[in-house]
Amino acid sequence: MTFLEKQTDPTTPMHWNGDMQADYFYSNGVAGDKFFKHLMKKDTFLASECPKCGVIFIPPRLYCEDCFCDIPDENWMEVKSQGIIRANTTAMIDAHGDPLEEPVIMALIDIDETDGAMLGRVKTEILDMDLCGLTVKAVLRPKNEREGTMKDILYYEPY
Amino acid sequence: MNDVAVIGAGMTVFQRRLKETGKELSYLATKMALEEAGITKKDIDMVVMGSAPDAFDGIHQKGENLLDGAAGAGKPYVRVFNGGGTGVFAPIAGWWHVASGVADIALVVCEEKMGNCYPHPQTAFRHIWDPILDRPLAPNLVWLFAMEMNRYMTKYNIKKEDIARVAVKNKRNAVGHPCAQLPDEKITIEDVLNSEMMAWPVQRLDISPPSDGASALIFCSKDKVRQFTDDPVWVDGVGWNIDSTMWTNRDLSFPRYVANAARMAYKMAGIHNPRKEIDFAEPYDPFDYKELHHMEGLLLCNKGEAPILTREGVTERDGNMPMCPSGGLMGVGNPIAATMGQKICELYWQLAGKAGKRQIPTDPQVGVGQAWGDIMQMATVAVLRRG
Repeated sequence: MTFLEKQTDPTTPMHWNGDMQADYFYSNGVAGDKFFKHLMKKDTFLASECPKCGVIFIPPRLYCEDCFCDIPDENWMEVKSQGIIRANTTAMIDAHGDPLEEPVIMALIDIDETDGAMLGRVKTEILDMDLCGLTVKAVLRPKNEREGTMKDILYYEPY
Repeated sequence: MNDVAVIGAGMTVFQRRLKETGKELSYLATKMALEEAGITKKDIDMVVMGSAPDAFDGIHQKGENLLDGAAGAGKPYVRVFNGGGTGVFAPIAGWWHVASGVADIALVVCEEKMGNCYPHPQTAFRHIWDPILDRPLAPNLVWLFAMEMNRYMTKYNIKKEDIARVAVKNKRNAVGHPCAQLPDEKITIEDVLNSEMMAWPVQRLDISPPSDGASALIFCSKDKVRQFTDDPVWVDGVGWNIDSTMWTNRDLSFPRYVANAARMAYKMAGIHNPRKEIDFAEPYDPFDYKELHHMEGLLLCNKGEAPILTREGVTERDGNMPMCPSGGLMGVGNPIAATMGQKICELYWQLAGKAGKRQIPTDPQVGVGQAWGDIMQMATVAVLRRG
């Protein structure tokens, strides 16, 4: 081995500061447009069911990735914006390792009447770290403030 | 298909924020592998580079940047990349260069310089998510894996101390590894359980650290291998598999894509009963729970049984089924693609009897190495055999 000294300070070696700046617009896509336009008007979610295997996708999709077939418009359906927490974490630090001002609860929520789950933030007075099995419903922005993005779902709360 | 042997391997020290550039790290690892094999650059027919997201080094299309340090200039050269799976996928690509007959000698170099990314390489992971569904929620990988760990613990009623035991074993195994970033002879389960809570249930000592480093491996065809050794180590089987990117639609308690990749590799290797026919394994362990998850995915025990076997000492270096005798990512470090050094180079060193202080005492004949990547969906597996 050629080097064994330890260093954690990135400015120790001679260096040059740079970045990889690039800005983007990400389109919602065809299925995404439909899902978010619905969510701007209603307090429910849209899901889509594969005509061959019967799997109900949420978020909804134009095609089934297993059967590799189209999911026609008539196979789209409205489902309640609620479900059961399958897994969760309570984060104390951010991506840089710095402490968060207050812990963030992020959960994978199995959405009722579907075979899928949504990633979401959870707000609760429950102090337990482990929230698996808890029934939660989405709290959405007021309708006149919805923009057609995931941020229209403010968080989920127990019901 | 032609039979493929390993004839040399190299690995730099793993550390956070090394002075050396990515290509300098590649050069050092390559030079070690060439010296161990007793060959020079002119003997290499083709080169495979494995390196994970460009955003770590901060150089778009970094394969070209690393080229000259990897003995690739003027040769057929390709970079392969599938996130954390790269450390075993790059050697799979090197294997097929030789197995297909297009090369007699192929060099594989894996490099990662995460220290360039400031203030923390987690920044690079901000952009791996679905931009519509996931990114607006600002998740990060530690949070995501915390949910998978929770799901695994919930499904099989696993206690945190049985997960922490893996961190202790691997950091102790790394003692004596010349490249190790985090060896710790004296670490205890209590140390892990008392470490900083990052994203419940993940604590500071449950995670391998970001790192800089490189590793290299040289493959040789059966026709030429006797020029280099009388006791070759062979690649008997390879497998890879990727699950849906719609990770929210999957049960996270069992990595079925790892099982699919393992079955592919075992079939090629003629292994019918992996629990009896495989002597040791290097499952991918960026988190302590992942070793357990992957041990089950590799079909080396029943679902939910890995923590019990670990508690019983079965997976210790002198146990019946050693796991991560190298010290793994938990003990040696986690420069993503360069972990080929623990996952495949280590198989070679163990099977060739060159593992020094890390040598498994029971004369192992068959080992399996595995890596894991993308959004909890990619598995890459290789089986190596002595003689």
